[in-house]
Amino acid sequence: MSEIVSSYCIWIFIVPALTAMFILLFGNKKFLREWVALIGMIITLIISIVILIETQSKVLIEFGSHLRIDSLSSLFSFIISVIGLMVIIYSFKYVEREKEKGIISDKKVKSFYWQVMLFISTMLFATTTNNIIILWVIIEATTLASAILVAFYWNKDSVEAGYKYLMLLTVGISFALFGCVLLYSGAASSLIKGEPLQISVISEAAKAGIIPSSIILLAVAFLIVGFGTKAGIAPFHAWLPDAHAEAPTPVSALLSGVMIKVGVYALIRTVTMFYTSFSIISVFIVILGIFTMVVGVFMMFIQEDLKRFLAYSSVSQMGYIIMGLGLSGVVPAMSGVVKDGSYISMYGSLFHIVNHSIIKSLLFLCVGAIVFKTGIRRINELGGLGRKMPITAFCFFIGGLAISGVPMLNGFMSKFTLFLAGVKVPGMVWTTVVAIICSILTLASFVHVSYRIFMGPISSELKSLNISEVPASMWLMMFVLVLFCFILGVSPQVIYPILNNATNVVLSIISKGGL
Amino acid sequence: MEGAGIISTLSLSIVVTTIAVIEFRNLKYSAYAYCLQALLMCSIFIVFASKGNPHIYLWALFAFITKVVIIPFLLLRYIKKTTIREIKPPIGYLPSIIISCIIMIIFYNITHVNANFIAPNVEATKEPFRTILAVSFTIFVLGLYCILIRRDAIKTVHGLCILENGVHLSLVSLAPTLPETAIVGVVTDVVIAVYLTLYVIYGVYREFGTTDTYQLKNLRW
Repeated sequence: MSEIVSSYCIWIFIVPALTAMFILLFGNKKFLREWVALIGMIITLIISIVILIETQSKVLIEFGSHLRIDSLSSLFSFIISVIGLMVIIYSFKYVEREKEKGIISDKKVKSFYWQVMLFISTMLFATTTNNIIILWVIIEATTLASAILVAFYWNKDSVEAGYKYLMLLTVGISFALFGCVLLYSGAASSLIKGEPLQISVISEAAKAGIIPSSIILLAVAFLIVGFGTKAGIAPFHAWLPDAHAEAPTPVSALLSGVMIKVGVYALIRTVTMFYTSFSIISVFIVILGIFTMVVGVFMMFIQEDLKRFLAYSSVSQMGYIIMGLGLSGVVPAMSGVVKDGSYISMYGSLFHIVNHSIIKSLLFLCVGAIVFKTGIRRINELGGLGRKMPITAFCFFIGGLAISGVPMLNGFMSKFTLFLAGVKVPGMVWTTVVAIICSILTLASFVHVSYRIFMGPISSELKSLNISEVPASMWLMMFVLVLFCFILGVSPQVIYPILNNATNVVLSIISKGGL
Repeated sequence: MEGAGIISTLSLSIVVTTIAVIEFRNLKYSAYAYCLQALLMCSIFIVFASKGNPHIYLWALFAFITKVVIIPFLLLRYIKKTTIREIKPPIGYLPSIIISCIIMIIFYNITHVNANFIAPNVEATKEPFRTILAVSFTIFVLGLYCILIRRDAIKTVHGLCILENGVHLSLVSLAPTLPETAIVGVVTDVVIAVYLTLYVIYGVYREFGTTDTYQLKNLRW
């Protein structure tokens, strides 16, 4: 593919960063911060759409290829921009309400907006950079930018969550720094063309077998621990339910919808290039994925807090994504060529990343609507909300069905692809069996929870409250996401060209001899 | 390489300061020990730079600004705001010293003997790089031990700083050609991470009245 120099590579993350700075400096008026955030996000979305279209046939580079956007990066930056815009629009009423209730001060509202914009900016930067050390720096920066948002309410629970979030992620990510430095030095120690800091150059070096094989396993182990912590892979997921539950709900939607995917992106960029060096790597990743999936799904059943319930559902769904990521390397690891289910498992994995972003943001926004009206998160204190909040109930049901993989909805399409992948890859049928069982358990838990929240008599805690549907700016965002669920569920071919290109990028990283 | 003896001596004294940081029960003294450790690290950089790698002088400068000045300042400031005495850890004074010494000896030996598995090239398996590499991995593991075993939240931040120093020190052996921009990015991240963690810990102190992490048990499962 031809590489062309394009300044879009800079603008995509500079625009939200500038917006954040503007809000920080001048955001004391309500309309200034809200409208500036909205306009900034719309511009970012437009840039990401342009990039998405451009990268289907070319690769965009800038600063001597230190910033590099191919179709894999543009897929992630597109997801981040779309979900980011939804979350910003949703936040208007949500944050305003929190301020009216006296939970947060006006100063905090301002810090909410600029920190969310900064958070989005760091995530976009992470998908754009081609420099391995900067990749680490910026993934750590996503943690730092969101840390104060996690501890936003500054009460007992949220400072505890904030402390755990910062501590676990910083320690976890330090492992990844060791891994990144090892990769850099492995590539730097030999004579190769280009600068060894660049991930694309490192993957060329890995393909050519230049990186000494003695350090590969250690580096990969460090990278999996480091970026796996960010991606919420069990057993490094301990920060995830705390942070997701205690952050303000729009931030939870961002954390769960996109931030953990950035961890997966970093894994794809740094680990997949070694699949053909050691066959154990891909199998290990498959096992981690299955473990994550099972842990997540069982923890869902014992949750009393609605947001923690969704957080564990995220852990479980990350398991599917990681499983697909590992499956794509099983055959190439043995034969050195990409065939027999490599394509389909990578495709399924990327498709599930897109779908999980949509569905999990939708579910968190629905829970946000419930918290907005009732202020209650405990499942056993809620009940009978369906008649009072019909749109929220409908959206939550669709989200629950989609995430469990019910046909006609998008979750089915990606999960079915992953099931097929398990069958196609030799010796991996058991993964399909486990994945199907986990899907059924997910469906069971979601039906159970939806029933308890929305059906039956109105619970005693809610009787005194005057509950009605949430404002249009909130339910409209949920509705748009439901529409995405249906569109991708009924005609998944609309996204095929984009995913196909992104999959081919990953497969060209994996394969030794080209496609 | 000339000066290998000095570098090895300095890096081994870093291990001693690490034990001091972990084992001092007075958090203030721990912070001073950390400051000393960072100073030793800077001197390693300077010795290394004087042997024909002039751009490492810049690393030494960044390390001095962040690790000798800013981080100890932040630590001392927040120690002053909270408590100076560390919350009693689950392992007593003497057993803890013995455990950390055992960890130190085992890991130092493992990494020193098996340096080939970590070193990306032949150069890095020679002295003094071999010793630096072994020391940096040992510090990393000791930092991890400190974070895992201690109850006091501020002490875990000390552990975090030690751990980051381990990574930073390994850069000399593993990637001496790393450009300054990358170094600036890494040290900036570390400073901000330490600052934010201390800030949140101060929030914990105000809400819970203590920096004991065993009290943080509202969120479970």
